[in-house]
Amino acid sequence: MLARIAHELFWLGRNLVRAEHTARMLDGVFQADLQGRPDDPTGVTLSWPSILAIMGSEQPEEGTVRRDDVLSTLTLDLDNPASVIACTARAREGARTVRDVLSAEMWEAINTTNMGLLEGDLSARLRTGPYSVYQYVKERSALFWGLTSRTMLRDDASAFLRAGGRLESADMILRMLRVALPPDVAEQEPPTAGIEGALESPTGGAAVRDGQALALLQAVGGFQAFRRAVQGPPDALPVGRFLLYEQNYPDSVAASVSYALDVLQRADDSPRTSEPILRLSRLGADLEFRARGGEAGAGALNATCETVQRELALVDGDIAQRYFAGADYQGTLYA
Amino acid sequence: MTEPATVHDPSDYRPTPGYHDEVYLPDGSPRDYARPMAEELERMGPEQLAAAGRRRDAIFMQQGITFDATGEDGPVKDRPFPLDLVPRIMPGEEWTHIKRGLAQRIRALNHFVDDVYHGREIVHAGIVPWNLIVSRSHFARAVHGIRPPGGVYTHVAGCDLVRDEEGWKVLEDNVRTPSGISYVLENRVAMTRLVPSLFQSYRVRPVDHYPQLLLAALRAVAPSTDDEATVVVWTPGPLNSAYFEHAFLARQMGVELVEASDLVVRDDVLYMRTTSGLRRVHSVYRRLDDDYVDPLEFRPESLLGVPGLVRAYRAGTVAVANAFGTGVADDKAIYHYVPEMVKFYLGEEPILDNVKTYLLSDPEQLEYVLPRLDQLVIKPTSESGGKGVFIGPSTPADELEALAEVLKVEPQKWIAQEVVKLSTVPTSDLDGTVAARHVDLRPFAVFGETIKIVPGGLTRVAMREGSMIVNSSQGGGSKDTWVLEDGEDSDRAEPPDVVRQELPALPDMRYGGWSDQEQQQQQTSTERGRAHACPHRA
Amino acid sequence: MNFQITFTTGYEYDSVVTDNLNALRVRPATTSSQRVDDFHVRIDPETRLHRHTDYFGTEVIEFGIPKPHESMTIDVRARVVTTQSPYPDEASWEAIGAPAYAEAAGEFLMPTGTEPPDALLEEFDQMARATSPLATLLLLCELIPDRFEYKPGTTYVGSTVEDLIRGGAGVCQDFVHLALILLRRQGIAARYVSGYLWAAPQDGGSDSVEVDTHAWLEALLPASGGRGEPVWVGADPTNRILATESHVKIGHGRFYADVPPVKGVYRGGAEAKLAAAVSMTRLDPTTSARA
Repeated sequence: MLARIAHELFWLGRNLVRAEHTARMLDGVFQADLQGRPDDPTGVTLSWPSILAIMGSEQPEEGTVRRDDVLSTLTLDLDNPASVIACTARAREGARTVRDVLSAEMWEAINTTNMGLLEGDLSARLRTGPYSVYQYVKERSALFWGLTSRTMLRDDASAFLRAGGRLESADMILRMLRVALPPDVAEQEPPTAGIEGALESPTGGAAVRDGQALALLQAVGGFQAFRRAVQGPPDALPVGRFLLYEQNYPDSVAASVSYALDVLQRADDSPRTSEPILRLSRLGADLEFRARGGEAGAGALNATCETVQRELALVDGDIAQRYFAGADYQGTLYA
Repeated sequence: MTEPATVHDPSDYRPTPGYHDEVYLPDGSPRDYARPMAEELERMGPEQLAAAGRRRDAIFMQQGITFDATGEDGPVKDRPFPLDLVPRIMPGEEWTHIKRGLAQRIRALNHFVDDVYHGREIVHAGIVPWNLIVSRSHFARAVHGIRPPGGVYTHVAGCDLVRDEEGWKVLEDNVRTPSGISYVLENRVAMTRLVPSLFQSYRVRPVDHYPQLLLAALRAVAPSTDDEATVVVWTPGPLNSAYFEHAFLARQMGVELVEASDLVVRDDVLYMRTTSGLRRVHSVYRRLDDDYVDPLEFRPESLLGVPGLVRAYRAGTVAVANAFGTGVADDKAIYHYVPEMVKFYLGEEPILDNVKTYLLSDPEQLEYVLPRLDQLVIKPTSESGGKGVFIGPSTPADELEALAEVLKVEPQKWIAQEVVKLSTVPTSDLDGTVAARHVDLRPFAVFGETIKIVPGGLTRVAMREGSMIVNSSQGGGSKDTWVLEDGEDSDRAEPPDVVRQELPALPDMRYGGWSDQEQQQQQTSTERGRAHACPHRA
Repeated sequence: MNFQITFTTGYEYDSVVTDNLNALRVRPATTSSQRVDDFHVRIDPETRLHRHTDYFGTEVIEFGIPKPHESMTIDVRARVVTTQSPYPDEASWEAIGAPAYAEAAGEFLMPTGTEPPDALLEEFDQMARATSPLATLLLLCELIPDRFEYKPGTTYVGSTVEDLIRGGAGVCQDFVHLALILLRRQGIAARYVSGYLWAAPQDGGSDSVEVDTHAWLEALLPASGGRGEPVWVGADPTNRILATESHVKIGHGRFYADVPPVKGVYRGGAEAKLAAAVSMTRLDPTTSARA
């Protein structure tokens, strides 16, 4: 297939997944911010500055980060390429370019999503309660991927669309993990016995990290899956390991890597000499190996995240090199 | 201070004279801790509140957060759970008092259950008559002499509290299978989604860790040497009115939701049937009454249960929450003695009082009550959920006369209580206007290694003016209960030093152009990523 | 007296059943007038037995057969020595008002929720009132068999006292249930007794007889003169007598459901055919002299 089309599909997948994960993250943090945790030190949850860091946005130089500003910047600001609405708009433009390889229903799903976000007074909706906006994005995203499974031929086109989606998913999870489970918090003593009637809890940095891990887990919608897969409380380390390594959880980094590897192998005529495939395959094996090992603490986990994220960036470059390199983009530039 | 802030129009909201209003003082100005909420309500106005109410119903229907009620035209199925969007706010100090009182009470009740099935010391001490205990319908001879793991019987308790002008009192103890906790959690989530602006000026203590507390307690009492204790939630099935909650708790804890047919006892061990054969069960959170748990020991005609379960329980191979036989402690005639239990078992003064109660099995008290039926509340001793309750002042005279005859024949099955002047909280009507409505409170406690109580609990509210009937099955609604994080709570662990988190430097986001990630800068264009001409990655 | 008791229960199922769980209350009690020398239970198919003592002090033997099977046999053997209890003192009605009496009576004085409507009982209340608690007990032992026909098959294990009164016939279990209610209505504590009853051979030849499990009752009678502990006195309204050394007690409760000899459930849709046989043999050397 055309390198240009493959490239568009790859980024269509990435943009849609990014929009959904951003919505999930904002919703999750908003909930956590209002609800808190029994053991939160006041004001520390997966915080608004953290979100800016996850999205690679700049921190304000002075003053505090206001909830409403972050919500609005990362949701509705068309000028901010990281915002939900900008991701969706890019996805819609990309889909328009490759309309002929998508099913009609997939195209309509994207187009309607985009229109739905642009019309009406979204900022008012955001103020009365951002939940409805994020719920909309999540539902539309699920609709698109459902239609992809149901109506799109499983050919090379679908492989690049899905590979893009899964690699973006892995990247977003890694970003969230790196911020939510910082390495620089001193390891804490196990919880001390509480006074009767009080809530026993770990204290200090460990509590912060546990609180953020739970918020993150709930944001990505993996709480029940975690509960069923893992015995024990949703603390930082088990949650981090679950989101990194659990092959049976569809949105874990390891599952995404396996999936992307699988679809690319089918799309590539000579997978044995394909640099991105070889790299993904090594990464998959590495994750499996690490899953069996077990990290000493959340700090070590964070280092793993960083390594994996670096590898994924290389995979990204390899993919561009191998599959998209022949495409000439000059004609579409209008900057 | 200028005009006292009130809702919409000061003339709209008037605390009912003679009743304690938790938000407004008698002069119509809000109490200090409630002022930010009152002001925000005023800012929102009735239209916004009503609109949020419509969104609430849609979301609840979508999520299946419903219940079955008895309407004027018979049973109504699947109505959205009526959450009132005006929260009930409680200062931290007030909560501390309640929490201590409840923990004390639950410890005493747990002692009592143990005593009833073992030494009967409280009987020998002449405090509670043995005849009263054995005549309770939930007294369980089948578990006589059995002491469950950890000596805990009342793992889950949900006592009903009321507040009048004198303060907080206990109206009822629920230590069988109290329900409502799922609504506490769902209400909080819904509130953050529907009216987030109300939270703006408050730090509200969270409630969503309840499933973790419950799971930890169920694991703590499990007779299992490793951490791999298998916990299940046992539901009577989808036809049960609280099935939503059973499924909710199982999902939140990540454990299996089982029915009787999934369970089997072999030798004296409980198992569940799985696709890979029998799997041992260590801890059961059961949501059905003793009568239906084991046809060999309890109601024989009930084949709903798990034959042999009591044997496994007796052998100590499985923990059951709440323990069999705990119902004897939440009988309304036993309730009368709880303050004395606190003194007897714990050597402490009760922190929370009872509502004044008359035991009709005592001829003198019956004598006193009979001519005053129209001023009292008459309750059957073994029912729950407001079933069979007569509220004297609002019951027709002929019904009271008939009731008097029943009381004379079977006085031991009834108690009488003074009518409590339930406190009020502003509550929104369909059109978004607010008015004073009566409320009670059901906090939820979990007893594993220690007693833990989720801040707040289920506030139930009577939706009709002047009504004191708060049961959801009889048209009552609920409110999110906010316990404020206002500093003063000595029971809480010292807050750790706020950790100033160093944020890691992450690679920049990529947008699908041919960017090198080191060169990609914060973009400001609205254009698609690929519109940005960046050098091809070399 | 000295007995060898054999209690065999066989179940034949018309198709395969599994998870057959049972609780037996068959072991003779140890009391001031009764001693158990030997006791065995054997189940076929073979399985593990679990024993405990229930709330009323009766030994319960529980077992389960998880594997598929089409028949089950419960084989109980016991050797028991009984002695005759002394004839009870005659105390006045006033004596049952004493606190010590209420204390000893406990829940055996309370209604159990199985009572028929008052209207059905009133005629008996009149008749049963005699000069003393003991006289009432003896009177009831005559009155009930006079008024009701002993007729197996007219009632079943779950029949109520109301069924007996309306039907006019029943078995020992029904007679006892009625007697218990009538005694309690007179203020006399009374409890249901399950056990085995020796019946002397009709032909006088063999010392081994086929009997059934039997039910009688114990009433709490105050000590005469209001001094001393009240005592539980056995009485058998089916046979119009006070309990004798021929009555071998298993246990007691408020009513039948507290002391059923065999109680079980199984998984499977099969109908069960039951064959139960109790045989008692007198072992005392004195008995052969009687012949």
